Amino acid sequence: MNKKTRLVLGQVFFWLLITLIFIYLMFPFYWATVSALKTEQELIQTPTSYFPKELSLQNFAAVFRNDSFLRGLLNSTIVALSVTVLSLLIGSFAGYALGKMRFRGKSPSMYLILAMTMFPQIAVLAGLYAVIRTLNLPAIPSMILSYMIFTLPFTVWVLTAFFKGLPVSLLQAAQVDGADMMQTFWQILLPLTAPALVTTGLLAFIQAWNEYLFALTFTSIEPTARTVPVAMALFSGEIARQEPVGEIMAAAIVVTIPLVVLVLIFQNRIVDGLTAGAVKG
Amino acid sequence: MKKILFSLAMVLALGTVALAQTVTVAAGAVGQELELIKAAAQRYMDANPGVTVNVLETPDLATDRLGLYLQFFEAQSSEIDVYQIDVIWPGDLAEHLVDLYQFPGFAEAAQEHFPAIVENNTVDGQLLAIPWFTDAGLLYYRTDLLEKYGFDGPPATWDELEDMAMTIQEGERATNPDFWGYVWQGNSYEGLTCDGIEWVASNNGGSIISPDGVITINNPNAIEIIDQAASWVGTISPGGVTGFGEEDARNLWQSGNSAFMRNWPYAFSLGNSEGSAVAGLFDVAPLPAGKGSPAACLGGWQLAVSKYSENPDVAADVALFLASYDEQKIRAIQGSLNPTIMALYEDPDVLEAAPFFGSLYDVFTGAQPRPSTVTAPNYAQVSRAFFTAVHDVLTGQQDAETAMALLELDLEAITGFPTGAP
Amino acid sequence: MAQTQRQTALTTTKPRAMSELARREERTALWLLLPSFVIILLIAIYPLGQVFYSSFTSARFASSEPTRFIGFENYRNLLSMTIRQLPPKLDEQGNPVITDGERQYETWVRILPRQPRRYSSVNEFNFFGRRYVLGATNAEFITAIWDTVVFSVVSVVLETIFGLIIALTLATKFIGRGVMRAAMLVPWAIITVVSARIWEWILAPTRLGFMNTFLSDIGIGDGNIGFFTNSSLQLPSMITMDVWKTTPFMALLLLAGLATIPKELYEAAEVDGASKIRQFFSVTLPLLAPTLAVALIFRTLDALRVFDVFQVVLGSQRYSMASFAQDMLIANRDVGLSSAASVVIFVLIFAFAIFYIRVLGVDSE
Repeated sequence: MNKKTRLVLGQVFFWLLITLIFIYLMFPFYWATVSALKTEQELIQTPTSYFPKELSLQNFAAVFRNDSFLRGLLNSTIVALSVTVLSLLIGSFAGYALGKMRFRGKSPSMYLILAMTMFPQIAVLAGLYAVIRTLNLPAIPSMILSYMIFTLPFTVWVLTAFFKGLPVSLLQAAQVDGADMMQTFWQILLPLTAPALVTTGLLAFIQAWNEYLFALTFTSIEPTARTVPVAMALFSGEIARQEPVGEIMAAAIVVTIPLVVLVLIFQNRIVDGLTAGAVKG
Repeated sequence: MKKILFSLAMVLALGTVALAQTVTVAAGAVGQELELIKAAAQRYMDANPGVTVNVLETPDLATDRLGLYLQFFEAQSSEIDVYQIDVIWPGDLAEHLVDLYQFPGFAEAAQEHFPAIVENNTVDGQLLAIPWFTDAGLLYYRTDLLEKYGFDGPPATWDELEDMAMTIQEGERATNPDFWGYVWQGNSYEGLTCDGIEWVASNNGGSIISPDGVITINNPNAIEIIDQAASWVGTISPGGVTGFGEEDARNLWQSGNSAFMRNWPYAFSLGNSEGSAVAGLFDVAPLPAGKGSPAACLGGWQLAVSKYSENPDVAADVALFLASYDEQKIRAIQGSLNPTIMALYEDPDVLEAAPFFGSLYDVFTGAQPRPSTVTAPNYAQVSRAFFTAVHDVLTGQQDAETAMALLELDLEAITGFPTGAP
Repeated sequence: MAQTQRQTALTTTKPRAMSELARREERTALWLLLPSFVIILLIAIYPLGQVFYSSFTSARFASSEPTRFIGFENYRNLLSMTIRQLPPKLDEQGNPVITDGERQYETWVRILPRQPRRYSSVNEFNFFGRRYVLGATNAEFITAIWDTVVFSVVSVVLETIFGLIIALTLATKFIGRGVMRAAMLVPWAIITVVSARIWEWILAPTRLGFMNTFLSDIGIGDGNIGFFTNSSLQLPSMITMDVWKTTPFMALLLLAGLATIPKELYEAAEVDGASKIRQFFSVTLPLLAPTLAVALIFRTLDALRVFDVFQVVLGSQRYSMASFAQDMLIANRDVGLSSAASVVIFVLIFAFAIFYIRVLGVDSE
């Protein structure tokens, strides 16, 4: 009886906790949705209403009418995807070396890579802009290249940690079978850490997707290359100083949903990883 | 063969450069405003077939826009020829801009614009930017509520405003617990410098730093009016007003929850738009005065030509065209953007589209500039010191006497100017 | 345990053979690191070097003024501090002035030095019945350092706790786990600049905002709580926003870390009769340590560099170190001072990174 009560209480507590966290994480998104669905008049009403009295799709319509926003979606996808793939590739090479090999200067290499991203973005912007101008690159490659400044240290460090955690026996077994180092990498290491790669990639993707300051500067003279955050910063009312709160909220939702869908697609991989990822030690 | 092709390509490339000149204008990103300037650019191109005018939108947020411009100037980029700059920037950006007086037409044009703005845009006798549209702080008031509570007209002094706001607020609270007397911009940002300079100037307290470089802010009149403004917080204005920008004030006002508002002219057409709770129920007046006469902070945007432009003469011509009488007239009628050319305030077409232009002519001509040109290149620091000090008073962290004494020391350290009476 | 097995893989034990193999391994490792170094060389060296260099100069942004080398002057202007005692305020008879039962002190203006650098007050405090003032040449930056560190430590601790709870929850099976996992990502996926605006809208200082309406409906406050203007609510509001935004990052990373822990270890612990809680401390936590260390490093790094939320929501009211650096650069054009502030951020991040690596025992060697 006592044990049973404790079990039930534990269950209740568990679900309560999940519910609370769920509300905390989801509420602002709910509020953005509600605000986007209100008419402008209802939006500025005091006290505010918890649910829209009349649904208005005006804000969403305005977002989809905005060409630069739609174009931004495409640009952002290209940029973020390229950055992610490159960072994962380069990062997993480095992670393999740093996590599984023995060589001199390992610690300095780790810290040097981390040091890339230890300055605030605003501090390196002027220098980076000078580099980009010297290389004379168009906006999209510029963004892809410069975003590595923050995605690469992240992928390198995370993958190093994951690779290091893999049991040695597996790699030794491969070596005994006659595989060289690179074969071990492609055939053993990468498949085994696939869930970790997906997670790391997803986090890096979103970091690149959300970047604003570099994008604003590099696309300033190439409006067709603008990414979503820049397009949204250029979102404005009909008149200077007017802030179209409803439209900004609507745009935020339109941008977030594809990402969540992306996660749902990749989720199978993560779930697979959870079950299969329990590596035989 | 290859060589011939190459030289052919070179000739073609050079030929196109010589034929078509491109001028890029960095302008606002705002919906209707952007449409207007794109149409204007098209009109210029129709009249001048050899020239291509590109319009580049830049962020509406002033710090983002300035940051972007500075990156271009730092890189001495020739990509942008004409910049839309804030009224407080000409002094700071002086070394990157060309003197417009060297191009034909500007000397005459400068005579037509408001002298205060032309003076603001002039550094060492050089005209660095041509005024494009102007802005000034206004008092918005609810005509229906004034009538309901038996007031004849808008308040002429801050004391009157306080009384009226209090009376109306107490009356309206019976039915609307969220009603406030007066809303304005109290956040710690450039907007508070505008509100603050209006209070101080209207109470004969000077303009923080005088145009000839004397720090005047630490005087009894300034202290008195800033203390008075602090007393509004939580009484006739919401406690949160110390976090308000223009839009926060307008949101409260436009939903019918405030009797008075200090704001820029942009709120006029929005307030009268469809669905607005105050449409047709309000009017604008000059801001109230203290001991002196009313003061309105000068805002607005100018067009300047970059020193790094490859075609400064064509760029200057584009700027002159955009700021001309006809173009400003179109902008005034279609976008209620306040012209900087005096004669337009008597133009019947303009007055029909925006009636308050006529009645507020004095407000626009007499608008109070911020001390940006005299303190260049340190205006941003000066303004930050001022609005931080005022914000401290508004939030009750300091009284105005202490805050202004400290501010004076800060301003001395920033500018090196002497102190004196206004 | 797997921890102790973490030796490098591809070496044998014989010294002779090792040196040949080891040399080959070293070469391979360097080839593998090459792309990373090329990227660093291409895009990071120059901007990074420039920040360090500028911090020792009088450089101004977008200015033709000649740049001078000024040594540590920027750092002195940024970091100089002093503590002075404030004498009690005396009336004409020389008696201490007491108002409302509290002794009054002279203001700091006359006490703090003005030459060669002007100090202003960061904070006043009592110590053994005496009143002291902490003065700094750049009180705003000293306050910003303190605020940013408090912000970072509190946010990262909360994010770690929440992230761990979520990760452990999502690692168990329950209905709706898939939805929960996707939903969890939403805060991290919303564009930062916009998420700050959403929170601004929720926490508006009148009943226009959700929070004030909700709180006044349930009888808390008068509907006019200034979450961003009341100085004691500013940091808690910032922390609420940051924890919301980045808990998913923590959770997802830790979830991936959990996935790499071999199931057999739990089975073995089960056989030994270890309770769930014991299993957590003896199996989960040690094996999660490397992932946790990396997650902590990157979260702390981001928190110490925090910029968007402070700039969008607080503007010039209160600075984070990075929003201070931005203001110095864009508004004041002071590249030197701004760079010095960035170097301070750099040093702090480095200190935290080393701290985590030492404490969690996951040194790379």
